[in-house]
Amino acid sequence: MTLLWFLGKRFLWLVATLWIIFTVCFFLMRAVPGGPYSDERSMPPAIERNLKIKFKLNDPLYKQYSDYLLDVAKLDLRPSYKNEDFTVNEIIAQGFPVSASLGIFSLVFAVALGMSAGVVSAVRRHSVYDVGMMVLATVGIAVPNFVLASLAVIVVVFQLHLVPAGGWGSVRQIILPSLCLAAPFAAYIARLTRAGMMEVLSRDYIRTAYAKGLSERRVIMRHALRGAILPVVSYLGPATAGILTGSLVLERIFLLPGMGSHFIDAAFNRDYTLATGMVLVYTVLLFVMNTLVDISYAVIDPRVKLAER
Amino acid sequence: MNRQIRDAFPYIVFGVALLAVLWAISFGTLPKADFTFNNGDEVKTVDPPKATGVPEGRIINAIFEGLYRNHPDGMEFDDEGNITQFPTPEADGNVPMKLVPAMAESYELSEDGKTYTFKIRKEAAWSNGEPVTAHDFVWSWRRMLHPETASRYAYQLTLYVEGAHKFNSSEVDVGDRVEVELNDRPDPEQTFPHGTMSRGVVRQIGQPPKPDLDGIKDKNKRSDKELEWKDQWVFVVEIKPEIDGEIDWQQRGELKAFSRKLTEDLAKFEFQRVPEKDAESEATSNRETTNVTDAETDAGSDFSEVEFTGEVETIRNLLFDFDSQVGIRAKDDQTLVVQLMNRTPFFLDLVAFYPLYPVNRTCIEEHGVPKWTKPENLVCNGPFKVEFRRIRDRLRLVRNPHYWNKKVVRLDIVDALAIQSETTSLNMYLNGQIEWTTNLPVSIMPELKKREDFYGSPSLICYFYRLNVNKPPLDDIHVRRALNMSIDKQLICDTVTQAGEQPARSVVPPGLPGYTPQFCNLFDIEMAKAELAKSKYAREGKRMPKIEIVYNTLERHRDIAEVIQQQWKNNLGLDVGLVNMEWQSYLDTMHMQKYSVARAGWVGDYPDPNTFLDMWITDGDNNETGWSSPAYDKLIAKAAQETDGEKRLRIMEQAEAILMDEQPIVPIYYYFRTNMVHQDVKGFYPNIQDLHPLHLLRVER
Repeated sequence: MTLLWFLGKRFLWLVATLWIIFTVCFFLMRAVPGGPYSDERSMPPAIERNLKIKFKLNDPLYKQYSDYLLDVAKLDLRPSYKNEDFTVNEIIAQGFPVSASLGIFSLVFAVALGMSAGVVSAVRRHSVYDVGMMVLATVGIAVPNFVLASLAVIVVVFQLHLVPAGGWGSVRQIILPSLCLAAPFAAYIARLTRAGMMEVLSRDYIRTAYAKGLSERRVIMRHALRGAILPVVSYLGPATAGILTGSLVLERIFLLPGMGSHFIDAAFNRDYTLATGMVLVYTVLLFVMNTLVDISYAVIDPRVKLAER
Repeated sequence: MNRQIRDAFPYIVFGVALLAVLWAISFGTLPKADFTFNNGDEVKTVDPPKATGVPEGRIINAIFEGLYRNHPDGMEFDDEGNITQFPTPEADGNVPMKLVPAMAESYELSEDGKTYTFKIRKEAAWSNGEPVTAHDFVWSWRRMLHPETASRYAYQLTLYVEGAHKFNSSEVDVGDRVEVELNDRPDPEQTFPHGTMSRGVVRQIGQPPKPDLDGIKDKNKRSDKELEWKDQWVFVVEIKPEIDGEIDWQQRGELKAFSRKLTEDLAKFEFQRVPEKDAESEATSNRETTNVTDAETDAGSDFSEVEFTGEVETIRNLLFDFDSQVGIRAKDDQTLVVQLMNRTPFFLDLVAFYPLYPVNRTCIEEHGVPKWTKPENLVCNGPFKVEFRRIRDRLRLVRNPHYWNKKVVRLDIVDALAIQSETTSLNMYLNGQIEWTTNLPVSIMPELKKREDFYGSPSLICYFYRLNVNKPPLDDIHVRRALNMSIDKQLICDTVTQAGEQPARSVVPPGLPGYTPQFCNLFDIEMAKAELAKSKYAREGKRMPKIEIVYNTLERHRDIAEVIQQQWKNNLGLDVGLVNMEWQSYLDTMHMQKYSVARAGWVGDYPDPNTFLDMWITDGDNNETGWSSPAYDKLIAKAAQETDGEKRLRIMEQAEAILMDEQPIVPIYYYFRTNMVHQDVKGFYPNIQDLHPLHLLRVER
């Protein structure tokens, strides 16, 4: 019951957030100079007017706003202004799976690499592994992903000939971009895990576990990790946000047909409908991910009650 | 939360992650394309009259075909479609292009040079197997000109074809034949299929009181207001009877009144009747129009005296009658007649340019815009058709089995990639993933230039600066000349652009047959200083106002602006600022003329100097400098009327000489087109328009 109550409340918040974001987006877009019909060649006023009518920009602002809001409420994000052959729904439908694949891979990489590095560092404290991995982690956080991507292309593509330089359509093409995207988050997760583990490992119950004669593996995997993982889980919310936005740049570098490049282009092109659609989709994504994180938090830690969150 | 869930949770998460990864790698494999190239950007639309860009052009040229087509000159084929003769490049690396018959097999030009009669070839077919006829062209051009299509290239017809301007701008006068479309379309969002059409002659035009337009400062708002006012006009039309689908213009018809937009309180307005012929002053166009068919002999002119008392009907459109008044006719399935206003020597170039390609009426009327462009719906008539489009990824073309000239097509599958990043494109080229890349990174141009597979050649594009002649100090001709003379353009070509570009001294790039570009002054610091001393600012000892260079965000534009800023500072002692703007703001600033100096580039639409020169007439849509010269306007108008091709070019030269002397613009350099193409690709030839017909390419591995 608490779960349903929690989800219901979250959903209402989501709707309110979407409405506010939609409104801000709508008026901000129209406040900047230019419009979807602007072009290097100027055109006769009659043609410009017909374009405005086509783009439904000829009505009074309040009518434009209410009509558009009604369409969006019906999940119709309208045709894209610039990519004239597609509706925004179609563009999102094509781009979302790509972005999602990239995001899932990156998240899995970030968690898998980050946590194993963190655990090893904490258990083999001050060893070569520990120092090496923590140096790597610091570098990983400091280097922006597009620099890492350029270096990775030089080494992995042109020196080692392991994967293609870009494009989409096979597992080989997804590995390099998702690794580059995951790197800073993996680094951060490694540090969080290490710190968490160090704290937990000095607790009494760990000593008790050892005293019972449990193997080191069992102590770490069963008892220590559960306590150490909490900060990592709460970091997954912001990490998802970071991976979503970080992909904007990497999609350009690796020619991935995800949603990220639409986000940038829509803003530059004054593609009002596409930009609005993108912002709304990203809002929903972040909201859903944060909710999932909150739920899993409650599942892992018995002290946390959903209703309070 | 019970214990079981908690214990199972790690496994659930692991399982979900595993499923997600499995979903993420579940790709279908695509067969490899025979030829893959970087198209530079996403294709915004494949609807010919709506498209504007270069990436769109490449695809539309592959899937559609006009009456004529540009081919490399000297490329010959045998009956099996093998290349028997290869063109030879000229000294600058370019191969000349030649117009070859495409959908048309030939054309005839009347003695006065104003009537083109195209013979459509019998074997011309759509991708669904049906024949392409002259009626398809009439319908396609009608659609392109229809005001609701809002084609940006409409001027390609409106400037030259009889009656096209009036139809496109929905201007009508008393006495004109018109077509009336009622407000009963099957789908109000779609222009085609039309609502019920009736045709007749305008007998009276009633106008509500004209709003105060001069009081509105903003140009856009003023024209909006004026158009809004025109929407409220009431047209009293004598609807002619229709017998067996034919209109009998000689019969007397019945009077009806129509308005595009009728508000209720409008009925209170006093409508004034526009007397016949006096309506001329309402037409903004000062072009002389002679009607294709003489509408003045139509019966019923006495209707203009009748007091109309019936009801006013709201209609969708009231346009100049296309079928009888616009010079585009299908005599029969194979014969297309185009009536021009003046001799237009480059008209064949216009029909070979993609906005005038035919589109399939049934396809558009059945699926509507934009659904007809979906690969599963699209009916086209070019060498290829679209297999699928993955936005931002690739557009796959496959051979069209119904193309009339399919024997020359050797590629079965062609992939057009939308790679925006120059570096990524080069990486993929070097890595063998694509065989042709267009945008090359400037930073390593000197390295790339050394390669065998690098093609760099002059193109029909001029890079220049607009000077706003209404903004001091640019209102002074001496200042403008001095600005030009103090730029070392060679230095810009050598250190910034680096692909081999040539410094520009004219707006028309060299290389157009028969035309000699007219030059502005050379780079000469002493002369520039002397010129500046002649300006009113120097004479009156006034402080020279600050100049700001506006450019849109791009590394190259910034680098060039910085060089020029430095040179104007050092050579002339001017105070120069730089303003970087993102594209849309930059466009807005240009259109509103809120700049003093602005970077610009102009791509020639067709290989004729006119495409670079007619834009600078007074208040020309793309003038945007505020410059105006009656002598220049006269020369451009004279050139348009001139029937002798040689003389016409001489007049154009005179016009450019004026432009280059008064310098509302400073030419900087002529663009180079840079391409890199794999050595095993045959049939690729650099040319001044940078047109590379995909169906002529072959890959010999």
